Amino acid sequence: MVQAFYEAPAYHLILEGFLILWIVRLLFSKTYKLQERSDLTEKEKEELIEDWQPEPLVPLVSKDHSAPKYDIVSGPTSHKIILNGKECINFASFNFLGLLDNERVKNKALTSLRKYGVGTCGPRGFYGTFDVHLELEERLAKFMRTEEAIIYSYGFATIASAIPAYSKRGDIVFVDEAACFSIQKGLQASRSNIKYFKHNDMDDLERLLKELETEDQENPRKARVTRRFIVVEGLYINSGDICPLPELVQLKYKYKVRILLEESLSFGVLGEHGRGVTEHFGVNIDDIDLISANMENSLASIGGFCCGRSFVIDHQRLSGQGYCFSASLPPMLAAAAIEALNIMEEDIDIFRLLQDKCKHIHNALQGICGLKVVGESISPAFHLQLEKSTGSRELDIRLLRGIIDYCVNRQIALTQAHYLDKEERFLPPPSIRVVVTIEQTEEELEKAASLIKEAAQHIFQQSIF
Amino acid sequence: YICIFFKCTLNYLFPQVKMNVGVAHSEVNPNTRVMNSRGIWLTYALGVGMLHIVLLSIPFFSVPVVWTLTNVIHNLGMYVFLHAVKGTPFETPDQGKARLLTHWEQLDYGVQFTSSRKFFTISPIILYFLASFYTKYDPAHFIINTASLLSVLIPKLPQLHGVRIFGINKY
Repeated sequence: MVQAFYEAPAYHLILEGFLILWIVRLLFSKTYKLQERSDLTEKEKEELIEDWQPEPLVPLVSKDHSAPKYDIVSGPTSHKIILNGKECINFASFNFLGLLDNERVKNKALTSLRKYGVGTCGPRGFYGTFDVHLELEERLAKFMRTEEAIIYSYGFATIASAIPAYSKRGDIVFVDEAACFSIQKGLQASRSNIKYFKHNDMDDLERLLKELETEDQENPRKARVTRRFIVVEGLYINSGDICPLPELVQLKYKYKVRILLEESLSFGVLGEHGRGVTEHFGVNIDDIDLISANMENSLASIGGFCCGRSFVIDHQRLSGQGYCFSASLPPMLAAAAIEALNIMEEDIDIFRLLQDKCKHIHNALQGICGLKVVGESISPAFHLQLEKSTGSRELDIRLLRGIIDYCVNRQIALTQAHYLDKEERFLPPPSIRVVVTIEQTEEELEKAASLIKEAAQHIFQQSIF
Repeated sequence: YICIFFKCTLNYLFPQVKMNVGVAHSEVNPNTRVMNSRGIWLTYALGVGMLHIVLLSIPFFSVPVVWTLTNVIHNLGMYVFLHAVKGTPFETPDQGKARLLTHWEQLDYGVQFTSSRKFFTISPIILYFLASFYTKYDPAHFIINTASLLSVLIPKLPQLHGVRIFGINKY
């Protein structure tokens, strides 16, 4: 055998010599390790400390900045609300179906409290799954007529966890400009490429989709691994508009994009049975890939849910950050939500009634000088914006605050729509958000409308002087 | 690695409680650390030895053929698992940062000349030396073995980190 080595061809031995040199080089060169800590010399540390300019821990704010001044609510929030000591009619809480103060819901919650206690002290995977959670998920899936549903314990975290579970780096998401803050945070967490299209403008969306299509034709291998999504809200909280769902479904099938629909405001409001914007437009629910909603509005509970096909929802049980790593929904809130669903299923007239009341007040509020109504006529949460802005956002906010104070002093509770000014991508103009609930009577609606008119006249007259 | 092996046998001998003690880690992408884990170099070497023994036990192949086959199959497996397959078989909390990277590129978060990279560069060369010796430096075997060695050495060069020639395997 060794004899063969002596008769070996030269090229082979040269190559082996070269490889031996390479091995020697590798063995004797410096071995790098993954740096666990960066060790700086004392001099470098001193230099860095010298360079550092401390910023104030809390930024300086003017004394009359509105944020720290809270309107304090004492007592339960329901049809009547005790705001800063004054009892008012509640036109500010998202209690659309009046279930916050419902006796049945409260009794169920109390029974559940006595049975389970208050909290769950664990995420769903760690002894935090109770039978009420499973029952609520089943009931929601049955109500929305989808295959499966999943519950989150915090409404904001629902869509903010759902989006990054499906959309990763390198994927493309088309979002409406008026998307709410939780959607924006979800998109930020997903690290995907975000493309905004103008609010409810399907032509703009189609233009963006066509651009993507031409890019895909140039690079088909990249297109094959890129996932695309459209994220829209059923009823936009920032503008009170309804998204054009049938056109979106058409675009979905034409350009092969998946739709993630956020139905926080439209669940329990739109549609004949309150199933949301899909029922409102008569769109087949299987056409929508994921519906996400929070239970903090119509269902008068806490938390949120996502529903869709089993194949889609099951993924969130391991990838939904808010599901896996937050404590689960307290069982009394889950029981309250189940009872609220029962009420919604029993009495389907309430949705019709709510929509009629919305139309009523929408008409009543038309024609106020200085304020314009922003939102669909059947949207129970709509905005009153200044017709002509004064130019400064602070001044606008102060004017609107004046109107609200006028109304609160005369027993109508209103609120402004608050935003994190620096964090919002497309900051909406300041507005008063009026909420219609089913518990408000016609007289109260009329009173609110006339009071707002008076307030507007009063404030704008004052501001002219 | 060997601890887990022993723990499994202990569970058969003492089947009382299964607790995943000491298993939790905060590593964002475990692919970066797996080649540094305890006992994996030994397992790899034993695996190659096992492959060789299995091939030797086939009666039709002569010793030179077996060595060339060991070399070629080892390099093929190494190429596929370290330089062809991209991303991770599990979901990572970093939203898919390593989706377009091969395992070799993911090792040690891209730091070059670490000890496992050196080990896995040297091991195919050692195998090549053994194969050349046992095939008696035959020219036909030389061509096959050298081609296979180059296919597994060239992607390991630091200059080729993240490089996709002709866009092959890019996405």
